Amino acid sequence: MFVIRRVAQIIPLLIVVSLLVFGLIHAAPGGPLSLYLDNPNVRPQDIERLRRQMGLDQSLVAQYVSWATAFARGEWGFSYADGRPVAARILERVPATLQLIGISTLLAVVVSLVVGVASAVRRGVDRAATIATVAGISLPVFWFGLVLQLLFANTLHWLPSSGRASFAGGGLGDRVAHLVLPVIVLAAAHAAGWSRYLRSSMRGALEQPFIAAARARGVSDARLATRHALRNALLPFATVVLLDASIMASGAVVTESVFAWPGVGSLFTEALAKRDYTVLMAFLMCGSAAVALLSLVADVAVHALDPRTREVASL
Amino acid sequence: MRLRVVAAVLLLGCVGRTDSGPSNDLLVVGYDREPDTMNRYATHILEDIQSCVIEGLVTTDERMNVVPVLAATVPTVANGGVVMRPDGGMDVTWKLRPGVKWHDGRPHTSADVKFTADAILKGDWKPESTDGFDRISSVDTPDSLTAVVHYKEPYAPYQLQFLRGTLPKHVLDGRDIDKANDYNRSPLGTGPYRVVEWQTGEYVLLERVPHYWRGDEYPKIKRLLFRFVTNATTRINQLKAGEVHLVALVPWDKVREIKTLPNVRLNQVLGNGYEHVTLNERHFPPFADVRVRRALAHAIDRNLIIRTILDSLVSSVNGPIQPMSWAYEPNVATYPFSPDSANRLLDEAGWRRGPDGTRAKDGKPLAFTLITQAGFTIRENVAQAIQRQLADVGVKMQVRLLDGTAISPVWFSGDFDAMLHWWQSGADPEITTFFAADKSPPAGRNIDYIKDAELTKLLYASDRAIDQAKRADLLKQAQRRVAELIPEIFLYNTSKLDAVPATLRNFKGNPTNAGPFWNVHEWELQPAR
Repeated sequence: MFVIRRVAQIIPLLIVVSLLVFGLIHAAPGGPLSLYLDNPNVRPQDIERLRRQMGLDQSLVAQYVSWATAFARGEWGFSYADGRPVAARILERVPATLQLIGISTLLAVVVSLVVGVASAVRRGVDRAATIATVAGISLPVFWFGLVLQLLFANTLHWLPSSGRASFAGGGLGDRVAHLVLPVIVLAAAHAAGWSRYLRSSMRGALEQPFIAAARARGVSDARLATRHALRNALLPFATVVLLDASIMASGAVVTESVFAWPGVGSLFTEALAKRDYTVLMAFLMCGSAAVALLSLVADVAVHALDPRTREVASL
Repeated sequence: MRLRVVAAVLLLGCVGRTDSGPSNDLLVVGYDREPDTMNRYATHILEDIQSCVIEGLVTTDERMNVVPVLAATVPTVANGGVVMRPDGGMDVTWKLRPGVKWHDGRPHTSADVKFTADAILKGDWKPESTDGFDRISSVDTPDSLTAVVHYKEPYAPYQLQFLRGTLPKHVLDGRDIDKANDYNRSPLGTGPYRVVEWQTGEYVLLERVPHYWRGDEYPKIKRLLFRFVTNATTRINQLKAGEVHLVALVPWDKVREIKTLPNVRLNQVLGNGYEHVTLNERHFPPFADVRVRRALAHAIDRNLIIRTILDSLVSSVNGPIQPMSWAYEPNVATYPFSPDSANRLLDEAGWRRGPDGTRAKDGKPLAFTLITQAGFTIRENVAQAIQRQLADVGVKMQVRLLDGTAISPVWFSGDFDAMLHWWQSGADPEITTFFAADKSPPAGRNIDYIKDAELTKLLYASDRAIDQAKRADLLKQAQRRVAELIPEIFLYNTSKLDAVPATLRNFKGNPTNAGPFWNVHEWELQPAR
């Protein structure tokens, strides 16, 4: 019941989002044809002709209605830029993005678990971790990525600067090498934030009376931290990680552009510059749906992990 | 932490850098954008990849000369290829090069020329430009190697009509060309290369075709890989790391970083474009006074800007037609840097300095806003320099930055005072669209909103002059008139800088958007010592 009710809430939400996003995209100055204006060899008459052919001369309401009815039927339309089906353009980019986000999330979770627990328990680690995490949170993704390229690709020549694979095809090692820098950039900010979060929930848990009781029973410090405190701290941590996964996707937009990663993010950047309305709409709708679904998953997960939330939710 | 170390060690163990240098087997190009389509008639600006595959009847070389490719000769009045009809129209006869085959082995014929013109005229798909085609009444094909193009009226740039090549009739006849993705993604051409793989978001791979019509020894390089790297800094980093070998159109502010690379040579040609400050006299009426326009031109120290901000990579220009064009006129009025002259002209025009140093007339200050593109570092710096130099003569200029997509509708609507920007043109010297009185948007690109009867008459006469010497004469008069009127402030030529492997031979560059790949069949890498 709980799940069905939450899913039903998503649909009107998406309709409102689509209206907002459609309005915003069209309110942004310029359109799919504005870059043509800069080319003196394309006459304004030609641009006018293309505008009619693309249906951009119709009223915004008419454009929205025709887009929305088609979208609801599962027809995402054709890209204004290259005329190919929007769904195909997005789908072919999904694997690269999932790979990048998946591995980054994994790395960020592992690092934040280790750093978060260690800094909750050991003061010395905490000082170093504080400095590292503040740096991690405040580094601009764009700048950090370029600095890593300069260092590891241009100066040390250890890693490729960008792209998903060498053309010559170095096999698995080559693919992994291409992943290292973008994954580090994308994971860094999240690992930093998450480890701070875990540290404070661990601290909170360690101050609970049941920890003192366990310590009195003679449970070792290490066991206290991992078995008792961590279990309690893990629940809010998991929620934050799931909710942040959508923020990770927006970080991927910048990371992909810096590292020429052929994912959805770089498609989005390109579509934005070209005001490729159909691609932008499909992308933002998928994004909104994903955020809504992730928060649903987070709710369900909390529901499943913590028996105390169950009664409340089923009321 | 330990995990990170372990992971790093593991990774470094399995990474061998596989990048090899450029060779006649593979040349890797770092390319700033992914093309939307390979159909040259539907594409926007980009033609580099396409021009390796699809050849025009002619192309334009590094000096903008028109060179025959699929045509045997370039038709002119002198060689009988162009005949003016008594009814005011004109006939252009294209003799095609014999023995040229499409990559599928079918011969390239006049039927393809006719099909191309007919397809664009038919209008059931979206070619980018119909310029010139809309003046064609019909195309005749007396034999398989002769196409006679009948124009309704004189059309001076006729030589470039089929610069973008021909569409293969046997592939596209009767089809919706917009949806013909087999062609649009991997077009059938006659050129030295064909598309073998297009990995979306990553690269396009071209491979040499066997038995290219120029001879089996061409092209020299077996494979060309165009990697899409949108971010300019990343692209330059890839060049430095040796992951790409060639970067066309290096941004001027990146040249210092590249100059020192031992394996890279910078090839420089003049560009067929000019950076300038457009003065919109409709939106900011003080610009309508020629003394004000001349004063502003005198107030700007172009040489200082070029020496400092642009590292002398470009040269100053005094008009809209560039020095390598056959229509270029060097002897025009110039406005050398002279704050004294600027001050005198502004005084004459009645603009007096107020207590804050800014000039005013009838209670209105001489203050305007200059728009330019955000994120274009050089332009932002040049705008600031101009701001400072104008302040010295009592003119207040504010700078407003707009992103690349947002700026076009602003200038097209005429809703701005002044704009720092460039025009990049094809090889034809037509400037009617920029300066004719009736060519302000939406009819054209006269965004100075200059209306001068004499200039307009010269420009329209030049568009109808088919004889090149006569057209050059008219355009030269027009350039002299433009320089007198100075409707916009000319700054500098947009030099084109391409970073190429030091061992690459026969790379010549190209001033126009047709791009430097026009002679790609000749490119060759010298063997390593």
